[in-house]
Amino acid sequence: MINFFIAYRPVFDLFLIHAGLAYSQYIVLRTGAFSVAVPGLAAIGAYCAAILTVRHGIHPFASVVVATAIGTLVSLLLSLPLARLRGVYQAIASLAFVQIVLSLNLYAQDLTGGAMGFTGIPKLVDTVALLAGLVVVFYVIASIDATRLGRSFDAIRQDEAVAASLGISVTGHQMVAFAVSGAIAGLFGALEAFHGYALEPNQFGFGLLITILTYVVFGGRRSVVGPLVGTAFLVALPEIARPMQENRLLVYGVLMIVVIAFLPRGVYDTLRDRLRHRRLAANNAARAPS
Amino acid sequence: MGRAWRVFAQRGMRVIAQQLLNGLVVGGVYALFALGFTLVFGIHKILNLAHGAVFMTGAFVALYSVNAGLPIWLAFLLAMTASGLLSVAIEIAAFRPLRGTGEAEFGAIISSIGANLVIITLAQRISETRVMRFPFGTFPVVIYEIFGLRVSMLQLFMAACALVLMLILTWYLYRTSFGRQVRAVSGNERAAVLLGINPNKVYFQTFFVSGALAGAAGVLVGLAFNSIHFMMGEPFLLRGFVVIILGGLGSIPGAMLAGLLFGMIQTLTVAYLPSGLTDTVIFAVLFLILLVRPNGLLGAEAAGHIGARR
Repeated sequence: MINFFIAYRPVFDLFLIHAGLAYSQYIVLRTGAFSVAVPGLAAIGAYCAAILTVRHGIHPFASVVVATAIGTLVSLLLSLPLARLRGVYQAIASLAFVQIVLSLNLYAQDLTGGAMGFTGIPKLVDTVALLAGLVVVFYVIASIDATRLGRSFDAIRQDEAVAASLGISVTGHQMVAFAVSGAIAGLFGALEAFHGYALEPNQFGFGLLITILTYVVFGGRRSVVGPLVGTAFLVALPEIARPMQENRLLVYGVLMIVVIAFLPRGVYDTLRDRLRHRRLAANNAARAPS
Repeated sequence: MGRAWRVFAQRGMRVIAQQLLNGLVVGGVYALFALGFTLVFGIHKILNLAHGAVFMTGAFVALYSVNAGLPIWLAFLLAMTASGLLSVAIEIAAFRPLRGTGEAEFGAIISSIGANLVIITLAQRISETRVMRFPFGTFPVVIYEIFGLRVSMLQLFMAACALVLMLILTWYLYRTSFGRQVRAVSGNERAAVLLGINPNKVYFQTFFVSGALAGAAGVLVGLAFNSIHFMMGEPFLLRGFVVIILGGLGSIPGAMLAGLLFGMIQTLTVAYLPSGLTDTVIFAVLFLILLVRPNGLLGAEAAGHIGARR
């Protein structure tokens, strides 16, 4: 068991980091905003933490806190223009934000190391710290889900006009979601910086954006557990499919098409809904004869 | 002093004009790529993220046909047909099962990423991860001089191709019965079905046209930049986003205009700004335009939308 854990530790670490970023994406989608700014926010958090600690000698813990705060702030500022846009337009505008952050990271070589990357970051974050971070994030997300805030989010996602007519402030709630998303992205960006020795601008690009969005939609974008299931499944899949060697990505692609065709709401959400339906039907059948 | 300045200014003007011309040609190709993208969005309301892979397939098919000894015009037609059919296959495999589930918007993102991955992996296997080019002389290298501007025959061919294909598309959409059906389904699918239009036939056509246009763009880019590899679709997908958003999603004239505009902005920023800032400028412009006009340049949601009457 211990051997198994040690052998797969890098995969597990990857899962923890990506699960955190997936929650950052999830909370925005939950309010019906289609913003995909997470990689840009994570990049800001990561570079901020790395620069503060390596260049200015600030205590790593303090720089993680600062990175989280800056992630929140940038995300809040970003939510102001994005609130004017809807649907795919919002997605593309936030994609533009990610690309701007990426190209500025490449351009500002003195600050970020440019395309050569930012190196010499001490490795201070291990599996336990990542796990602790994910637990905190999960707790926050689950509490939002369990309270009035979560229900307001759901109402806005399902029908903005109805939510507004019920007295729910659409812009206000989406700003809350953006702030939470920015905090999570900043936190996990900083954790990733202290986990991997080096940062490279392109690791926070279009590829990461697609990966994270896939985790959330694949697992289920409505339930709290969905992003976790999606991340676990898609991170583990290449490892499980290792015997297929160079056909791995092929299998991965085919599986994505097939799974979403049969479970269109995502793996966890569709199965949960089906189970609920079956239970309801069974209850009704039991009640009907009497 | 005055004379020297005038000569300098004239030379500067000519450089700018040359850059604008180059940008116009590249922009035509962007427009071709984006037209298929925006056509599918206008009708399906989904983003087909496998569009870049279809584009790449067009270049691959043309290259392998030319290597097999076919003339370039035949290879070009073959590439358009093959990528059209591939696009239809993607529709049947990835998008059709999602229709009617109410989850098409997000589900299509996943399944088209899946399709993209499959096609790219296959292309990587076939090409053994090489960067390939058309054999020298596939397209005659002739350079004309018009009003002091240098234009190659390839550039003229690219511009002509883009123009002709755009005209054919406009004619098809606005002047034929098929086009009317396509626009009917895009406007209101339920009403169109009640009037006896078979939506699957419409989807087949739009995906074929969209794929064929992407394939044509792929061949032209392959000819012009001589760098054909399995990842060549991704940057075009990103730029395709910019173009269709600038023009207003689902708007055909918008995509054409924005494609040309984008090509010129890109060549000008490459020529006159520090190279690292090109992307920053392009995406900042996109962001600002969206703030001022949330539905794109030509987008009062319905105006110029393919569903709208012209």
